[in-house]
Amino acid sequence: MKVINARHRDSAGAEGTMENFTALFGAQADPPPPPTALGFGAGKPPPPPPPPPGGGPGPAPPPTAASAPSGADKSAAGCGPFYLMRELPGSTELTGSTNLITHYNLEHAYNKFCGKKVKEKLSNFLPDLPGMIDLPGSHDNSSLRSLIEKPPILGGSFNPITGTMLAGFRLHTGPLPEQCRLMHIQPPKKKNKQKHKQSRTQDPVPPETPSDSDHKKKKKKKEEDPERKRKKKEKKKKKNRHSPDHPGVGSSQASSSSSLR
Amino acid sequence: MAEKFDHLEEHLEKFVENIRQLGIIVSDFQPSSQAGLNQKLNFIVTGLQDIDKCRQQLHDITVPLEVFEYIDQGRNPQLYTKECLERALAKNEQVKGKIDTMKKFKSLLIQELSKVFPEDMAKYRSVRGEDHPPS
Repeated sequence: MKVINARHRDSAGAEGTMENFTALFGAQADPPPPPTALGFGAGKPPPPPPPPPGGGPGPAPPPTAASAPSGADKSAAGCGPFYLMRELPGSTELTGSTNLITHYNLEHAYNKFCGKKVKEKLSNFLPDLPGMIDLPGSHDNSSLRSLIEKPPILGGSFNPITGTMLAGFRLHTGPLPEQCRLMHIQPPKKKNKQKHKQSRTQDPVPPETPSDSDHKKKKKKKEEDPERKRKKKEKKKKKNRHSPDHPGVGSSQASSSSSLR
Repeated sequence: MAEKFDHLEEHLEKFVENIRQLGIIVSDFQPSSQAGLNQKLNFIVTGLQDIDKCRQQLHDITVPLEVFEYIDQGRNPQLYTKECLERALAKNEQVKGKIDTMKKFKSLLIQELSKVFPEDMAKYRSVRGEDHPPS
């Protein structure tokens, strides 16, 4: 209903402005509108004000140029063809023309959240929370929405559990069945990360002060390197010769020889 | 302001840790661990009391309901903040575009009206307090 009313009001306003414009354009050819039309447009006399409560004096005379209606602008009284004029919004007023994110000092937050990719899962936000928290809350009736819609019945306060009450918490010995071990289930991403970290840590890092044997190994590697390169190149050549996709042997040889040089 | 949240966060973390330990005790219960279980249960009661005390300090904090929807779906609530900021910026740019276009339209309209109705527009400018036509 409100939307309809707003539209109606808008259309009425548009009509008013259109009349205002027509009046403005017709101001040159036609005589200026009478002062009684101020604030309401030509040919539309203002509606009579309601009678005062308590039976006062008779209806007040219609507003004239001297007494403009309260809704109209003050400047409209003596501005000739310009009526329905409103005061311009002040330059100090905060509008959408200013960057509101910088205005409210939210650049840091914007860069933080929009600059880089935010991880999708809840477990990324609460990594230390035990259990499988990435599943929808509707699965196990643990949603926050249900907490709001059906709030729990609260007592007065939280009282410590006394000796007799603790008797109710005597449990049977032995492990819990598998389906009840929800606490131990963790999101799979974490496990991968841990594995990755483990693999990294498992790889032995060479010590900063290498021994003589390390030196020898390095030298051997250095000596072997050019030989390996030659072998690899020869293998490549052979492959190129035998490969059916290769367009021409001569050209490949030329290119390889040039690369060798 | 931040102290309030730190306080609550601390209590919540303690509470979660207590629950986790309780879960471990319960998952493979032994008769000897009954005393530990009782102690943990009372820790949980005191933890709840502490969290309840924090409620008084945070009565003026409002949380949008949409955030709860994100959490219920197992999504990162920071995504809500991100989307809010993006939407705000997009809307800000849209409104700025409209304002700029309207300003251009106004200046063009005044320019053109000044050509056709120079006297009226001079009056208009004097009413508005503008000496020179806007460029």
